Amino acid sequence: MNRIFTPKVNGYLFSNAMGFAIIWLSKYLSGPSGNGVLIFSEFTIVPFLIGFISAWFWRNDKIDSMTLVSRCVLTCFIAIMLTVILFAEGIICLVIVSPLVWSFIVAGAFTGRAMFRHNNDTLNVSVVLALLVVFVIDSTSVHHYENMVADKIVINAPVSKVWKNVVAYKRNTSPDKYWLFKMGMPSPVESTTEGYYVGAKRKCIFSNGYVFDEKIVVYQENKNLTFDITEQPRDPEIMGHIDILRGQFLLQDNGNNTTTVIGNSWYRLYVFPVWYYDIWAKSITRNVHLRVMEHIKQISEVK
Amino acid sequence: MLRFVTQYFGFLKAVPGAALVFDAWLRIATLFTHPDVSGYIDSIEREVSGWDNICTGIHKYGGMRFNCAKHELGHIHSNGLLDMLFTREMKKQLMAADDRVTHHHVFKNTGWISFYIKTEADAAYAVNLLKMAYDGYKVKESVSACN
Repeated sequence: MNRIFTPKVNGYLFSNAMGFAIIWLSKYLSGPSGNGVLIFSEFTIVPFLIGFISAWFWRNDKIDSMTLVSRCVLTCFIAIMLTVILFAEGIICLVIVSPLVWSFIVAGAFTGRAMFRHNNDTLNVSVVLALLVVFVIDSTSVHHYENMVADKIVINAPVSKVWKNVVAYKRNTSPDKYWLFKMGMPSPVESTTEGYYVGAKRKCIFSNGYVFDEKIVVYQENKNLTFDITEQPRDPEIMGHIDILRGQFLLQDNGNNTTTVIGNSWYRLYVFPVWYYDIWAKSITRNVHLRVMEHIKQISEVK
Repeated sequence: MLRFVTQYFGFLKAVPGAALVFDAWLRIATLFTHPDVSGYIDSIEREVSGWDNICTGIHKYGGMRFNCAKHELGHIHSNGLLDMLFTREMKKQLMAADDRVTHHHVFKNTGWISFYIKTEADAAYAVNLLKMAYDGYKVKESVSACN
């Protein structure tokens, strides 16, 4: 048995077991009121603790920094695989989360390595307890974050022609340019509407068949199309972690047979820390905008 | 990168743990860009840790700190940047003797110096600098013990 449970293996095993036990406990305690929110501690404190605990098991190993970082890579990989199995997360989610988790595991492992050299148990236990206190406070706090992304494009076509394509547009068959779309993240390909009036239902169809149900809330011909998202798919990929709340196209007639189109989207994030995930959310939303607006530009500029 | 971050995001060092995490990013980036540097840092650590009364720890702004009793000899950020405190006179001499020794990357008008460890020779020179500071403290200690 001792041959299997060497300090090296224990470092991988027990650190991850502890990490996932904490996450499970937090989900259990928060219950349905958690609303699927993944708090910042789950991506920062827990990986830090995983690295820290690993370093405790490896404290007597004479390993250099490169080996420790490599072990952190494997620890991170195990954590990611456990996330796939236990929480059914999608691959793109994991691509997004990996750099964050890995860097905190590395930070935890090197902090642990430096601290465990001194055999100061009081300090070591204090650090773990302090991190757990932060985790509990974070778990019991309210997490709510909404933001908006705006993009602009100039189309060489009159506003009346652009407007038609803004409200509904035919299928976009051009290849994706954004790397996450190329990796398999669904991209918008088509939009349909049942009518040109406030209250009309609109659908935004994505490349994998997902449909966002929308309702037009502002309809000012050639000027403003605003729609609320009434239903969106729940998917293990990124879509479970962000809700698009509202979309808007503002058109400005430039007077020279060109039209400026401004695309706005409002979204709510369910994953924290915001300083990390909002970068991704903005990037993805921006690329959704660009794909739609470039398609509108392309079909509007056809003579 | 370190210079950019300390210049524009230096205020974040007040956030608990932020410096540790930044140093981890620095370490990861250095492993990809200058893989030998982490080996040099390890060898310096091994060498210096063997001296009497030396203990290593985490520096509050990230990196590894070398202490002689309660005095900090210096600290190495994970990109191989060694920061040390000397007297202004000693700093002037060191900078005149070797142009690899520069003003501290943040505190220019102080006795702090910065020294980038990029090669094996730099690592050896870094050990010399730390030894210089170490010997300085030992002399001070013996003088205060005599008094």
